Amino acid sequence: MNIVVPIKLVPDLVEELEINDEATDLERDFLTYRINEFDDHAIEEALQLKEAHGGSVAVVALEREETDKVLYTALAKGADKAVKITGLDEDASSHTAAKAMCKVLGDMEYDVVLTGVQAADDRDGQLGVLMASYLSIPHVSVVSDIAIAGDKLTLHKEYSGGVMASFEVTPKVLLGVQAARQTPRYAPVSRVRQIMKEAELDEVEVEAEPGAGSIVRRMYTPEKGEGAEMLDGSTEEIAGKIAALLNEKKG
Amino acid sequence: MPENPTREVFLHLATWQQVVFYVAGALASVIFVYGFWLRLRKYRKGRPDHRFDRLGRRILRAAGTILSNSTVRRGEGLGGIAHTLILWGFIALFIGTCIVALDHDFLRFFGLKLLQGNFYLGFSLVLDVLGVLFVVGLIMMIVRRVALKPAALDYARADHQDGKVDRSGYVTDDMIFVWLLLAIAITGYAVEGLRIGQTMPEFERWSPVGWSLAETLRSFSGGESGDGMFEAHLWSWWIHGLFALAFVAYVPFSKMMHIVTDAANLVFTDERAGRRLPPALAGGAASITDFTWKELLDFDACTKCGRCHVSCPAAAAGTTLSPRDLILDLRTLAGDAFGTPEFLGQRFRAGSKWPENTDGVDVAEKLIRPETLWSCTTCMACMEACPVGIEHLTSIVQMRRHLVDRGNMDDNLKDALMSLGDYGNSFGESPKKRARWTKGLSFKVKDARKEPVKTLWFVGDFASYDPRIQALSRRVAEVFDRAGLDFGILYDAERNAGNDVRRVGEEGLFEMLAEDNAKAFEAADFEEIVTTDPHTLNALRHEYPILGDSPTVHHYTGVLARLFADATLKAARPLGHRVTYHDPCYLARYNGEIDAPREVMHALGLDLQDMPRCGTNTFCCGAGGGRIWMDTSNEQRRTSEQRIEEALALDGVRIFVTTCPKDYTMYSDAVKNLGVEERIEVKDLIELVCEALD
Repeated sequence: MNIVVPIKLVPDLVEELEINDEATDLERDFLTYRINEFDDHAIEEALQLKEAHGGSVAVVALEREETDKVLYTALAKGADKAVKITGLDEDASSHTAAKAMCKVLGDMEYDVVLTGVQAADDRDGQLGVLMASYLSIPHVSVVSDIAIAGDKLTLHKEYSGGVMASFEVTPKVLLGVQAARQTPRYAPVSRVRQIMKEAELDEVEVEAEPGAGSIVRRMYTPEKGEGAEMLDGSTEEIAGKIAALLNEKKG
Repeated sequence: MPENPTREVFLHLATWQQVVFYVAGALASVIFVYGFWLRLRKYRKGRPDHRFDRLGRRILRAAGTILSNSTVRRGEGLGGIAHTLILWGFIALFIGTCIVALDHDFLRFFGLKLLQGNFYLGFSLVLDVLGVLFVVGLIMMIVRRVALKPAALDYARADHQDGKVDRSGYVTDDMIFVWLLLAIAITGYAVEGLRIGQTMPEFERWSPVGWSLAETLRSFSGGESGDGMFEAHLWSWWIHGLFALAFVAYVPFSKMMHIVTDAANLVFTDERAGRRLPPALAGGAASITDFTWKELLDFDACTKCGRCHVSCPAAAAGTTLSPRDLILDLRTLAGDAFGTPEFLGQRFRAGSKWPENTDGVDVAEKLIRPETLWSCTTCMACMEACPVGIEHLTSIVQMRRHLVDRGNMDDNLKDALMSLGDYGNSFGESPKKRARWTKGLSFKVKDARKEPVKTLWFVGDFASYDPRIQALSRRVAEVFDRAGLDFGILYDAERNAGNDVRRVGEEGLFEMLAEDNAKAFEAADFEEIVTTDPHTLNALRHEYPILGDSPTVHHYTGVLARLFADATLKAARPLGHRVTYHDPCYLARYNGEIDAPREVMHALGLDLQDMPRCGTNTFCCGAGGGRIWMDTSNEQRRTSEQRIEEALALDGVRIFVTTCPKDYTMYSDAVKNLGVEERIEVKDLIELVCEALD
């Protein structure tokens, strides 16, 4: 099966996050970006499926400073093709990104689209859903344990409360991956460097189509309460104070 | 006219018998040459490795090592002395035999003869005496193997494959070796005694053993005449001759070949082996054909003395790694692959780890196995212990490189490597926070990128990021400042030096880190480097071409020793504590720095009690070679805890001194795990220096 993996780059939490002056977004100027962890799992799952059943894996990402390194790393891990989408704002919303990804997919042969179930930055979880609706193909989210049998795929979807469902789907289909069957593989640096010398990324320029998306009105760090009041004294004194407090709160 | 002292080589042998002997001799030689050629053919199939530089120096070094037998005797009582006696006896008897052959088969045809007159008398005396030493050595060896049975000679495998691997062939081969040599020596004396006994010429008193034997034999036969010895002499002559020829033919197919392979290995071994690793073959050592000829020679050089096996911390911890087993398994595989099968070797039975078909088998993943390869702490105890220059570590790292290429490693290691790739440190911290430890110092540490400094302090990961070690780094900085040292650091331009990254087998990452550091070095102006981390020290000293072939890289203990020696620093009062000191592998064994920390301790007035394993013979804490990043639950007895127990056995020692950030971490944890905080305390040397200065 031919698998396409749309991925997103998210801020690297190794640096301390700061909120911008308008309090609407992170102060992004000094942030570095890395692959969204769920997307890394989607790549791993795609590679596992390819290694077991043949086919190809293509990875697609929007352009930003770190995109090349992330895509070359995907090639070093075993992806066959890496596509960099240019022409968009690097912090495009999932709606804009979904439209751009679908345009690129229009020129590609694919059976399955695997993407991370959500991204660590906006926790929006909409990219896969939007793409499936633009492409008019079925979509399953929070997926694990994908197996291929003939031209069908079986997979598990996790619901809240520990409930699992088993699905059977036929391509074309879009799946939001929760976790790969094993932790994402390591790409040896020498191989990444070799690939950087030998391989080239496919660049596709896309005209931005603004989507709806959400607007952040205010971004702030969680407000701290007044903090705890420490009671001291002997055991009996403390017990007395607690009893008094409880009576007071009871009103 | 006095009789001219000499002897007949083929005394009483008929011409046809002489012909038979020469034919047998030729046959034995052909077999020897064939076996020798098989070996050479194997080494020629190894990958190239440049080991012919400074060949004259190499040969002299090897000759010194062999003739003094220094590496064989080191740390080995009886076995070492026995080996030296055998070696000297063997060399003398070998030269003697060569002189006889030269005389009889060459010079004779020119009317010349060496073995006569005084030369013959001296020759007889020297060979007779050294022959005795030879026999004594062999008997000592037999006693050692049969009765004393030291742990090093127990061939039980570390990977619990004992029931599935038959190593009795090794034992048989060992026994054939010593007994055959002993038989040759004893029959040699018999021949001599029976020859002398026939006529008792006065001058043969110069062969004291032969003469006494002849006298004894004559007294037994009860007569003055030696006629009865005629037959016996002929028989013993043939037995001796055939034993000797059998030995010649057997050499290349047995342990006896170590005479040749070990001499060669001592010539070709590199002084910097392990300290400076070779560049990576793409994809690492995947199959036996990926090993170099020197590695193939290493595998053959092993005499199974077991010193690496008993000194290996991974083996002591109960993991599946034994450097001896690893080398022997590779020998068995190389023998199968290149047509030098072991005559009496180890046999893997069905159900063992050995696959039935080993053609092109993945050595790292299927034969030696990842768990075994990842157990190595790269402490180099094996190479230090090896008397014959085997470079275990190089082969282990080459195989690890293959495992890294295949992604065959545990998740903790994977995370550490990714963090090193992304941020240049294994702590997953921002590179910008690298110099944050300097906050809280009373002065600003110079930025070596912005102003020239005499001494560049390469801080390293643990000293920069680990909160426990950061405090130690600040103390080092304060002492350096107090001593007026002109020093600076690279701030956030510094990356992990890559010593352990390289030993993990992630060569590409090592190169990347080294290139990043090289850029930082280029931007800085400095004369010398100092570091508190022995691992960093090793990489910078040996594996950074940008710094030159032998750059000046000090350990902080070296700098402190200098400052105390020239009285820049003075202990306000002698401390007097009774302490023990753990020599870090990368400082003591890798780089031979043993004295400086001891000089500092002396200057501080400390009463140092060394543990049994100290200096270059130190015992690893278990953190090296990337082990600190791995899941080490396969260690049944942590080496760090074994080491603390070793220290606790010393009388009255309450302080365990370290001079390596990783040691400080490992041993602090070990003391807690053992619950012996009341009995011993881990301290870095800098803490004691500060205590004495205050």
